[in-house]
Amino acid sequence: MPTPYEPPAALQRTVADGAAPVGPPGPGGAPGSWYPYPEPAPAPRYPYPEPAPRPHRPPLVRSRTRGWTPGVCAAVAEHLGVSRRSVRLTFVLLTLAGGAGLAAYLFLWALTPEGEVAPDPLSAPTHGTAPERRQWGAMLAAGAVLVVVGVVLLTPVLGGSVIGSVLVPLFTIAVGAIVAWSNLDDAQRSRWLGSGAGRYGWMRVALGAGLTVAGILVLVTRGESLTAVWDALLAAGAVLVGVLIVSAPWALRLWGDLRREQVAAARATERADIAAHLHDSVLQTLALIQRQSQDAAAVTRLARAQERELRSWLYAAGPQGSASTLAAAVTEVAHDVEDLQGVPIDLVVTGDRAYEPHGAALVQAMREALFNAVRHGGTPVTAYVEIGPSGVEAFVRDRGDGFDLEAVPTDRLGVRQSILGRMERHGGTARVRRRDDGTEVELRLPPIEGGAS
Amino acid sequence: MSQQTTKGGAVQPGPVRVVLVDDHRMFRTGVRAELTEAMAASGIPVCEFVGEAPDVDTAIQVIRAEQPDVVLLDVHLPGGSGNGGVDVIHGCFGVQSRTGAPVRFLALSVSDAAEDVIAVIRAGARGYVTKTIGARDLITAIRRVADGDAVFSPRLAGFVLDAFGAAAGEIAEVDEELDRLSAREREVMRLIARGYQYKEVAKELFISVKTVETHVSSVLRKLQLSSRHELTAWAMNRRLL
Repeated sequence: MPTPYEPPAALQRTVADGAAPVGPPGPGGAPGSWYPYPEPAPAPRYPYPEPAPRPHRPPLVRSRTRGWTPGVCAAVAEHLGVSRRSVRLTFVLLTLAGGAGLAAYLFLWALTPEGEVAPDPLSAPTHGTAPERRQWGAMLAAGAVLVVVGVVLLTPVLGGSVIGSVLVPLFTIAVGAIVAWSNLDDAQRSRWLGSGAGRYGWMRVALGAGLTVAGILVLVTRGESLTAVWDALLAAGAVLVGVLIVSAPWALRLWGDLRREQVAAARATERADIAAHLHDSVLQTLALIQRQSQDAAAVTRLARAQERELRSWLYAAGPQGSASTLAAAVTEVAHDVEDLQGVPIDLVVTGDRAYEPHGAALVQAMREALFNAVRHGGTPVTAYVEIGPSGVEAFVRDRGDGFDLEAVPTDRLGVRQSILGRMERHGGTARVRRRDDGTEVELRLPPIEGGAS
Repeated sequence: MSQQTTKGGAVQPGPVRVVLVDDHRMFRTGVRAELTEAMAASGIPVCEFVGEAPDVDTAIQVIRAEQPDVVLLDVHLPGGSGNGGVDVIHGCFGVQSRTGAPVRFLALSVSDAAEDVIAVIRAGARGYVTKTIGARDLITAIRRVADGDAVFSPRLAGFVLDAFGAAAGEIAEVDEELDRLSAREREVMRLIARGYQYKEVAKELFISVKTVETHVSSVLRKLQLSSRHELTAWAMNRRLL
């Protein structure tokens, strides 16, 4: 269900207000309340369907971690919300009633995708290699027995009765097919497709194929001589080769078309993604800039905010807008100050650590320092934050006339309380240095206790 | 500063000859106008624009023909084999300026992406500055690169500290070690990341500006030659893109 685009509320308000008055906030004013510009769309809305909500019943998927059966019964039981035993019973009854159950089982096996199923506390998953090995061993032993049976059946002496000549070969074919297919169905497909592959995998395929071919031959020849079997084999081979030759170009073309379609679809999705993002961000900002073209400061601010948003969208690796780490929080604060004051801040951050109360205090102190630098100092304002094993160091530097801490009246709480006091309360230090051409605020925090950095 | 000495000791008369490579005409015009204005205001003709190019292939032709001292090089450029500035540097391998020094490249970029910056530096650029740099700083940077020194923006210094693990406390035991920074180099990089000019760094560390330049050049060399995983991974990614 494509969501029609609606501009965010803040944006609508701005457009309605026209050139909204932009002034610096009061010292204690909440910045968010007067700021009329759209947040740089942190979560763009895309006009195509979002992931479907969780369905009422679990999806029909098979879990391969449970045991050595394909897990069809378990999947069906989970999907329908009935007990596994009743499903199995149903299948068995249906099978006895003319084989429908078996057909249904095979059909479901072929078509049900494998997937992650919520772990079931009742049945312990058979992780680990030891049970797996045992499973393989049992499978191989069973296969070998069946091969022997098949070979025995090939000798015409024993193939007298109807059971011997029809049902047993049919059974052999089925088992062979299952053994071969189950390989493709295995969750560890990579094990035999990949480099480490496996003997097990190939043995299984060979075994399955051998069983199937043997079964078919027995069924077809019905106890004829081995020469007849050989002739039949040759004829079958010839037909197969013929079919292969005839159908190869067609199959190849079909495959190529499919690939092309997939690539085109992927590209279209990507383009829609980009278009949606540009629409939500850049186009909106350009519209705002056109409306406010007289206000140079506002235009600069909008352009700057948009540039940053676009940049982070293009280059940022992780998700944005979530201050889960200290580096992210610092960056966010610098951007806030930049937006509010319209002065660019050159921020460099190295390293990272988890965001905790001490870090939050540093971020708040840094916010105050940045505000001071931007308001009272001159450009360029630079900030450097180094987060390392020996603690956090943050530097905020401006190129203004600087200010003397002693000269700051005691009633001005900004520097004393917000920066110095706050850092000391959190076990850190703060220092304001007056330099020849500006001021530098240094903030330091010790490493997080427990050694995590 | 009417006569400047290059690293090789040769006397280089007159202004630095500069070729400007960027695919946006507006940007080229802007840089020229701004620098010309700034030089007129200060009265020192530090540099002279001898050519421009909008793409990789033109850039290589112009540089080979003009033999400039410094090329201001955008990281992202059309043409060539798709690697932008890196292709230009490779294509101009061995070209010398008229004074006999190798042509030097100063990367100029809007990109914040580490792999772009690292790729162009590892290809041989002598420095990296962002396009938001002021005219006077850019002139200083051109002068410095022409003299064979390195120019690091705060952001590049930050990258370096991260990439060499210096921010995490890894320090080389001997200066020659390519995969880590020495303690002094780390200090210099930290101050540059804090936005200090070279002369401020010198004052802060009680060393001469020349020593600061030596440290920065040494870091540049490490950046170009180190086989540290982080750096090679970046270069690799760039090539795969």
